[in-house]
Amino acid sequence: MRYTPLAWLSLLLLLVVGVSACSKRDEHAFYNSGLVYCSESNPVTFNPQLDTSSTTSDATSHQLYDRLLDFDPDTGRIVPSLASSWLVSDNGLTYAFQLRRDVKFHTTDYFSPSRNFNADDVIFSLNRWRLASHDFHFVSGGRYPYFESLGLADNIASIKRINGYRIEITLKRRDSSFLANLATDFSVILSSEYGKQLMQQGFPNRIDQYPIGTGPFKFESYRKDHFIRYAKNTDYWRDITIAERLIYDITPRSSLRLAKLITGECDATAFPAQTELEIIRNREDLTLAEKPGLNIGFWAFNTQRPPFDNPDVRRALAAAIDKNTLLEAVYFDSATRAKTLLPAASWAFQNDADDTAYNPVLARKLLASAGIEAGFSMTIWAMPVERAYNPNATKMAELIQRYLKEVGIDATIVSYDWATFRRHLQDGLHDSVLIGWSADNGDPDNFYRPLLSCGAIPSGTNRAMWCNSDYDKLLDRALATDDLEERKAIYQQVNRLLYERLPLVPIAHAYRYQAYRNELKGMSINPFGGVRFGGVSKTL
Amino acid sequence: MIRILARYSILFILTLLVLTILSFALAYLFPGDVLENLTGITPQNDMQREALMRQYRLDQNVVVQFVHYLGDLASGDWGYSFSSGLSLREEIGIAMPATIELSFYAILMALLIGIPLGYYAGIRSYSVSDKSINALSVTTYSIPVYWFALILILIFSLNLDIAPISGRISLLFDIPPVSGFILIDIMMTENIDKGLAMRDAFSHLALPTFAVGAITTASVVRLIRRSVIDVKNRPYITAARSRGLSGWRIFSQHVIRNALLPILPLMAIQITTLITNAMIVETLFSWPGIGNWLIQAIYQRDYPALRVGMLAVSTLVISLTILIDLFNRIIDPSREKYERATV
Amino acid sequence: MPQFSLYEEAFHPSPWHRTWAAFRESHIAIIGLFVLGMFVVFSVFAPVLSPYDPNAQNIDGLLIPPSWAMSGSISNLFGTDALGRDLFSRIMYGCRITLGSGLLMVVLAMLIGVSIGTLAGMLKGVRSSIVNHLLDALMAIPTLLIAIIIVAILGTGLVNSMWAITLALIPQFIHHTRRFVRSEAKKEYILASRLDGANKWQLFVHSILPNMTEMLVVQGTLALSIAVIDISALGFLNLGAQSSLPELGAILADGLDVAYLAPWNVALPGITIFVLVLSINVVGDGLRSALRKRMSQ
Repeated sequence: MRYTPLAWLSLLLLLVVGVSACSKRDEHAFYNSGLVYCSESNPVTFNPQLDTSSTTSDATSHQLYDRLLDFDPDTGRIVPSLASSWLVSDNGLTYAFQLRRDVKFHTTDYFSPSRNFNADDVIFSLNRWRLASHDFHFVSGGRYPYFESLGLADNIASIKRINGYRIEITLKRRDSSFLANLATDFSVILSSEYGKQLMQQGFPNRIDQYPIGTGPFKFESYRKDHFIRYAKNTDYWRDITIAERLIYDITPRSSLRLAKLITGECDATAFPAQTELEIIRNREDLTLAEKPGLNIGFWAFNTQRPPFDNPDVRRALAAAIDKNTLLEAVYFDSATRAKTLLPAASWAFQNDADDTAYNPVLARKLLASAGIEAGFSMTIWAMPVERAYNPNATKMAELIQRYLKEVGIDATIVSYDWATFRRHLQDGLHDSVLIGWSADNGDPDNFYRPLLSCGAIPSGTNRAMWCNSDYDKLLDRALATDDLEERKAIYQQVNRLLYERLPLVPIAHAYRYQAYRNELKGMSINPFGGVRFGGVSKTL
Repeated sequence: MIRILARYSILFILTLLVLTILSFALAYLFPGDVLENLTGITPQNDMQREALMRQYRLDQNVVVQFVHYLGDLASGDWGYSFSSGLSLREEIGIAMPATIELSFYAILMALLIGIPLGYYAGIRSYSVSDKSINALSVTTYSIPVYWFALILILIFSLNLDIAPISGRISLLFDIPPVSGFILIDIMMTENIDKGLAMRDAFSHLALPTFAVGAITTASVVRLIRRSVIDVKNRPYITAARSRGLSGWRIFSQHVIRNALLPILPLMAIQITTLITNAMIVETLFSWPGIGNWLIQAIYQRDYPALRVGMLAVSTLVISLTILIDLFNRIIDPSREKYERATV
Repeated sequence: MPQFSLYEEAFHPSPWHRTWAAFRESHIAIIGLFVLGMFVVFSVFAPVLSPYDPNAQNIDGLLIPPSWAMSGSISNLFGTDALGRDLFSRIMYGCRITLGSGLLMVVLAMLIGVSIGTLAGMLKGVRSSIVNHLLDALMAIPTLLIAIIIVAILGTGLVNSMWAITLALIPQFIHHTRRFVRSEAKKEYILASRLDGANKWQLFVHSILPNMTEMLVVQGTLALSIAVIDISALGFLNLGAQSSLPELGAILADGLDVAYLAPWNVALPGITIFVLVLSINVVGDGLRSALRKRMSQ
């Protein structure tokens, strides 16, 4: 029969096609089961209590941990999380939290919880940064920059356990931003049982390297400069879709991150460079989400070093640069000009605040009267990483260098790797620095206090090393009231003071961008802190 | 034979000694604290510092320090990385095989493509096909490897989307590094779809291998072609031809072997170039090899890592070079020691 | 002055003339030499020829495409980079720095390599064997590694990376000199001058060195192509010239950040390095085959 070989052949063909189709489906299923996020740098630690950098909180806060409270990403309102409800006393000093039951901590190769989350864990976590007597306070360095910069520990009088699922926190002074602070990326809840176990084993450090939390993902492995690997927390208490795997592909170069996004090696990427936004917008397979960000990029002077302790010198330097040009060249118009520390997205934003203007003639005059001669040399420290608030500090430094040359100042640009850079900054080795701040909540105190208060110098967020008692008093007064209009008025005085003393030059408030592939469902920008992958899934 | 072996082992040991002295000296030459450069441990207080000084014999003279350093190296205590705090031996144990793997496939490619092409061009010397092969190889040889890699990424990854650009395998596969060689590790990992993982690993290998391999291939083609032409002009080939041997027999019996011998020592030089190229290409493809690792280390001024990394890479390169030299001496003892072919 | 000579004089072309005649026969080699010559002219006269200061920033003209593109302008032939610097001027200065430093390194490596090579060639016995082999082995360390170590000790910078590359270039000069000295030392004319009472130094300067120049020129072009590739590679990896210094590799690395928006910032410096190296290699190949032809005549 003549058709037999043909029939066999077609049958074989069918089989091959069938098999490959089947394996194709498996392949899709496999590649869809995990999310890959291209992050820009290594997290400093796996405990966001210890570090304010957004790299750390992006990698950990919303993935590994939960907080007592959360911000609703759309409205910015505070919503329940591990605390299912709360009550504030009439005098505004006592907060009572009712905790959620049936929340389980992660089960991993290195820890299996024997009990559910309860009040002990909350007290353990809050006391770790609050009390020097806490077993873990001095583990991993003993610095809690976010809480220190706000002076939060000093303001808490007591934390009481009422019963296993109820706690009460009493403050010394009224603090209208207290709840917001508990909802930030840094106020995560750790496991007290895990802490005890590590203490017994004699490896307390591991609490920040092999983290245990209640979040949607649990830690699997980490290789510096390469990846962080998380797996799904199958016992997560919220009813949301969670990917089987979440991987952070650590890719410092933004052009490489974009390339990986285009080839599909990453599903989402951190900090697309301003120059790349148009490309992402023009591609049909990518989505670019943008929101005005709660951030500020600035040029801070080390006010403890002469001649930068002289406000006239600082004003001269501020007048020597043209902010609009910086905005255009560095941010490619994806930012708004900053007059004060606060962006327009904050409720306390002051539209008619004073702003420095480009005036090299004035600059030269001020410099001359301050006794600074032509040829004076200073350093501009440019941070080595990209941040939304300053996507290319080196480039900005080069531009400023040129402006300063016009008023007779020789500036040299200094840069180290990120860890060294921050260490040297904290030691105050800089003359001036280009850096910025991403806020963790919309409260103005979150800008003013960490950036310029006296208490923020040792915690390393006050890059200007500037300490002014009037300023600190004004900030305290603003916190003592719940009346928004009154607080607004106080912050206007603060703005005026800052304009007169000028410890730093505000430059820009940048938009926040997130780029991801269209296959990702459920991605949204969290304006109040780190990225979150709980509830995100991938479909082809 | 035994004499040659003995000579080479003495040479090898001497070279290693020089290298270890060099790497020990680096701890003093690098900026910063000698103790920290040597161990990678930053002492928290004076007491710990004292203890470490004693432990590493830094309180004694340099010779004692060095002997102790040798002992540490031999026992596997290579110190710790500044930036990650991990044991350097472990880190290098992961990074080194990745580079060796990449270089191995690149060499394989260079030999499989380069040798036949070289012979073909040599046999057909000064024909059109020889000239085009030669032109192609000069061109390839002149391309800066990092730019070549960028162009490959642009064409094959970004425009055609057929090859990934970073790493050894999709990070979705959880392959624990056992041997450090990805293909072997895949076979040793359980609970994964091995076929899928293999395909994924091959697609990741393609571009970096091609980028590194192409330039080595070009060199091999040039070397072999030249060598074949030289051999063809030798009297014994003329003699063979006058005896009426067929072209094929001359080629298979005389040309192949005699053309290959003089280029062996040159392969040793190629290895240095190859590993340099592999190290550069690694940074572009985020290949987790020793080159990428060392360049990260220099950006972060991770001195202990640089000290040990330098020792590891140079030991590798020098071992290979000496091995090839030895091999060459054994199969062809008649050669003059320093004779080398030219391009 | 008579325009012609009455008697036909015997003309013996010097070896260099004969090499040049053989070189001239290859069109490709001539083209290569011409291109290389252009690069040399660009390098030497960069300050005169370049339309702009390579570091002058122009805020109003960021990332202008090259002149042949739709939106390009003739005032910036190769377009501008992310700081508005004129790419054509930068590349021209880049050739100056890359090629210039390459030449400097080759000359330096040649001087050192020839001296050591001669010494090694004249040494005999076990001492020679150890020195030679050890040198061989140590010199197999990759350039990149030497550069990393030097940068770690001295810091980044063009000069520091040049030291590293010079170190890496030396061994091949040693090799060839050593081989050459050994094989020449066996020849009769050396024996003759030795019998005339020439000491080792005179032997080297008057007899061996003149015969070595051709080998050195050929090796020099080879080394130059390696030097150019290496110095730009180190610039690209941020281990050599820093971005404010217009070195071709550093310009390329700078352009990488805007690769999608302004691909010419990556393409043009890359093509320049490629053509530069290609022209050096073509000239080198041409020289070598010309020499070979002359020798076989």
